[in-house]
Order: sequence, then structure tokens, then C-alpha cells
Amino acid sequence: MSERDSDAGTDETDAPAAASLDRDDLTPEGQIALEELLFRLADDEFVHAERLTEWQIFAPTIESDLALANVAQDEFGHARLWYDLLQELGYTEEECIWRRDPDDWTHATLVERPFADDGWGDDVVRTYLYDVAERIRLEALVDTSYAPLADRVGKALAEEEYHREHALSWLERLASDDDARERLQAALDDLFPHALSLWYPGEHETEIRAAGLRRETLASMREEWLDTVVPTLEGYGLVVPEPDDVSRPDARGRDGSHTDDWFDLQEAFTATHREVDFDRPARLRGEEA
Amino acid sequence: MDIEEVTERAGPRQFGPNDDMPEEYRRAATRMIQFHANSEVMGGYLDKEFTRHAPSLDRKLANTAKVQDEIGHAQLLYRAAETLGVKTRDEMLEELQNGEGKFLNCFHYPVDSWYEAPMIDFFVDGGAMRRQATLKSTSWTPYAHAMDKVCFEEGFHVKHGESILRELMRGSKATQERTQETFEEWWPRILQFFGPTNDESTHNDFAQEVGLKTTSNDELRNSFLNMYVPKAEKYGLEIPEYPRIFERDDGTMAVREDDLDWDEFWTIARNEYEGSDEQIGSRARRQEAVSWVRESLDDWEGSAAGTPQAAD
Repeated sequence: MSERDSDAGTDETDAPAAASLDRDDLTPEGQIALEELLFRLADDEFVHAERLTEWQIFAPTIESDLALANVAQDEFGHARLWYDLLQELGYTEEECIWRRDPDDWTHATLVERPFADDGWGDDVVRTYLYDVAERIRLEALVDTSYAPLADRVGKALAEEEYHREHALSWLERLASDDDARERLQAALDDLFPHALSLWYPGEHETEIRAAGLRRETLASMREEWLDTVVPTLEGYGLVVPEPDDVSRPDARGRDGSHTDDWFDLQEAFTATHREVDFDRPARLRGEEA
Repeated sequence: MDIEEVTERAGPRQFGPNDDMPEEYRRAATRMIQFHANSEVMGGYLDKEFTRHAPSLDRKLANTAKVQDEIGHAQLLYRAAETLGVKTRDEMLEELQNGEGKFLNCFHYPVDSWYEAPMIDFFVDGGAMRRQATLKSTSWTPYAHAMDKVCFEEGFHVKHGESILRELMRGSKATQERTQETFEEWWPRILQFFGPTNDESTHNDFAQEVGLKTTSNDELRNSFLNMYVPKAEKYGLEIPEYPRIFERDDGTMAVREDDLDWDEFWTIARNEYEGSDEQIGSRARRQEAVSWVRESLDDWEGSAAGTPQAAD
């Protein structure tokens, strides 16, 4: 199935109105679709943040270290918003994160890619591609039929504005330098095919739209994303690969298939949890976190 | 101002950038604040390891915030050190990279497990809190101001570390044992954190005379022991037999310093311990890997397009 097929035959004119559904109003199919949508959001944010924190302490300057930490914390915070909604639907934090089969994670492969030690250009390009996508998909959720989701979208959107400005200012600065621009180009060539995986549909895409959980199609969101990132990157003297000519990575991300680096990463961040085997993951709301 | 006048006037927040301070004072204050700033950076090299290990999402978030605070403290402290006009921040960071910069003994030991998180975040940070609280009364005002913010945030870090320790010590028997073993490994290092008794320390006398330092190493360590031995025991940790801790006539606790390995301590103080190589080397490698970014930022700031606020 290509990303465009997901739109075929969907008619959402009868979809429930904005913020009209609560947990108890969900049909069984609607709940499954909602879970798919939430896991995609949450997994993207969690894995993106997990990779970003690798730069903490290692960023090129003290100031960039502090700024990067802000972004990573916001993304973990968003992951928590979406995983919390899943927990309201009956999942536990263990089931969402710690004891979940790595083959069940549905984040885009873009966010799982490892960083080389000198890969600050990779960080800048990745963050930019991701943050534009995040803005577009959050905007597509403003009118979601699921009221608890609608409640939370605004907070995440407000923070994304800052992330995008941050990424753009880095792009601008690095692109003005020949050596740095070459590094950005290499990162773009490497990441772009994985970034396209942001828009791959999941199994329940049709139901997501039929239930009014998201108003926009993935194809139109992908189009909007390309219309934003392509001219911007080209404006900085970068060459963006032709989306339709890009050879698609074997790992699709959204269907649970991932690059090998994901499995190493998942093994590393769950190791302590497996070893200490606490009754439940510590919750610190209103305390330290 | 000459040294005699400085000594006479020495007191909390007594001097600032508008005072004409003698070079000896400025050098001593720079050495002390630079050491402190370097320690925040190098402490980050340990603490950042815990983010990946954190066994809950909230713990992970708390840990990333803590690591960010440490870099923020380094930024603040380097700025306070620059007010003395002896070295620039770039010079101090360069010294840290090439192995000349000095920092706390505990941050010369690499970490790789979650059991070490409370050793750093509760005990080492708790010790740092003891020291930093007294530095709110240092004679160099910009340093004291930095301490106001640092101490406020460190309070959260110590609570974070204490909460991790409590959770580990309520865990399975195996988890408790691992935590106890890790504690025994770290305990002597933590006791050495405060340095040797006063008369062995090179820079102390002058620093105390001019009010940069307000409390002796010995007093700080004893105040730490009085506060943290009961806390460790409360969570079920056993204090190792050696180094021996004893009660003095006035009821306060002290350590038999002969039981501690001062050769190792002084090797560390010269940045010559094997862990020093590893930690300083790791920082040098990572800084070198992104030197291209700093170079391109310098070019950008030197060009017409660059604006001062752009450098974040």
C-alpha cells in the first residue's frame, strides 16, 4: 500500500464532531484506531527525545546544550501526554514503554537513527524535518473528535513553535558555511528517506478518519510537509531528493519493522527496568518531573 | 586594595567587579570558581549516563532536567569566574579539554549503572550542597549570587537522588545488595570529596583569610557525616567498617583520615588517575568531533548576518 492509497474510499462527512467523544463513547473499532494514532504520536516523541538526549553534555557549546535539553524535555513531555491518554484507555506504563515488544513500536524510522559523534548536522536536519511534521499533524488534531486528545493538543503545539524556530536558526547558520552545508546535505540525503516514513499509514488509517479522530489525510499532510520543507531547504542551498524517486528503506517504522539500531537502542533503555524489576515505574508528578 | 586591606574587610559578599582587587585574590578566586564550574561540566558526564538507564518516564525526565541544570550552573559559574578578569570562558574550557583544568575527585570515576545514580545524585550532590551553602557567604559577590541559584536547584537534585535511593532500597534483595555494593565502592570517594584536613590543603589558608572560603574541609565533612550517615542508615545502607567513622567528644562524627587512600586522591588532583584520562579524554573527543560547528558559528558571528543573540 502506498501512502496515497490510504485515502481511497474514505468519506468522513459523517464523522463525529470535534471533541464530541469521550472514552465511553468510543466504539471498539474507534478505540483500536485511537490507540494506533496515539502510539504513533507517543512513540515518535519518545524515541526522538531518547536520541536527542544523547547530545546532552556533548553539544558544541554550553548554550546549544541548554537549548537542546529544552527540546528533548518537551518531546519527552509530549510522549508522556500521549502515553497518559493510552493509560486512560487501560494500558500501563510498562505496556506502553518498558515491556513492550520492540517490534510493536510504530515510530517513524527517522527518529531511531543513531548519531555519529560529529553528527550535529544530522541533529539539525532531523529536528527540522520532524518539527515541521509535528506541527502539521498536531494542527490536524485540533478538531479531533476525541475530547481528551483535543484538550492536550494546544500545549504541544505551543512548544513546537519554539522548536521549529530553533531548528531554522541552526539551519540558517550552518548553511552559510561551505563545510557545514556539505554536512547538512549528507545528513539530508541520509535522513530524507526515513523522514518520508513519518507519513506511512498504519493498519487502521481508514477508521482513524471515519471516527473523526484526525481530519486530514496522511497524503495531504505529507503534501503540506513537502511544500514547507522542500523550498526552505532549497533556499539554504540544499538539494532535496525527489520524494517519488527515493528508494524506500526496508524498515517501514509504522508497521513495527525497524532498522537494527532501534533494537540496540530499545535493549539499552529497557535494561535497567528489566533488571531492577520494580512493581511499577516511579511517578513523580508535581515532585521532580 | 592590598592584601592586608582585603583580609581586614573580608566578609560575605564584600567584594565585586567595581573593587580594585589584588592579583593574588583574583587568581585565587578564579582558581576556586573555575574548579567549581569544571566540576559541573564533568559531573554532567556522569549524570548524563543515567538518562538512558532511568527505569521510568518521569525519572528520565527528571534526569534530563538535572543534566541541563548542571550545564546551566557551569554557564553561570564560568561567567562569575570571568568577572575576575583573569581568564575567559573559552580559556577555561580549553584548559579543561587539554587536561590542565581541575575538577572534583568523584567525577574522575566513570559510571555505567543505575545503582550509581543515587551515589552521585544523593551523596555527592548532598556533599556539594553542604559546601555550596557556605559559599553563599563567599567574599566575591558574583560567586555568591551564582550560589543562590545553584543551591536552589541542587535542592531538587538531592531529592531526586534520595527518591532513587529509597526506591532501590525498597526493591528486591538482589537490588538492595547491588546498591549496598555500589555504596561501599563510592563511600570512600565521597568522604574524600571534601579534601584532606585543613593543614594538608595548599590553597586553603589564603582562601579563608580573604573570605573566599568560609568553612574548613574538616567542618564540611563532619557536617556531611552528621547529616548523611543517618540518612544512609534510614534507607537500609550499612556504613562500611573502613574508613572508620567515630564520634567526637562533642557528639559530632568524623572520619579517620588515615583509612582513606590519599595517594589516589592526589593522583586524581593532578588529573593523572586512569579515570581522569577516560573522563577528560572522552570530553576532548566529543568536543573535537563538533569543533566544525563552533568554527562555523564563529564565521557566522563574524559576518554581517550574525547577530549576538543567535548563538544558542
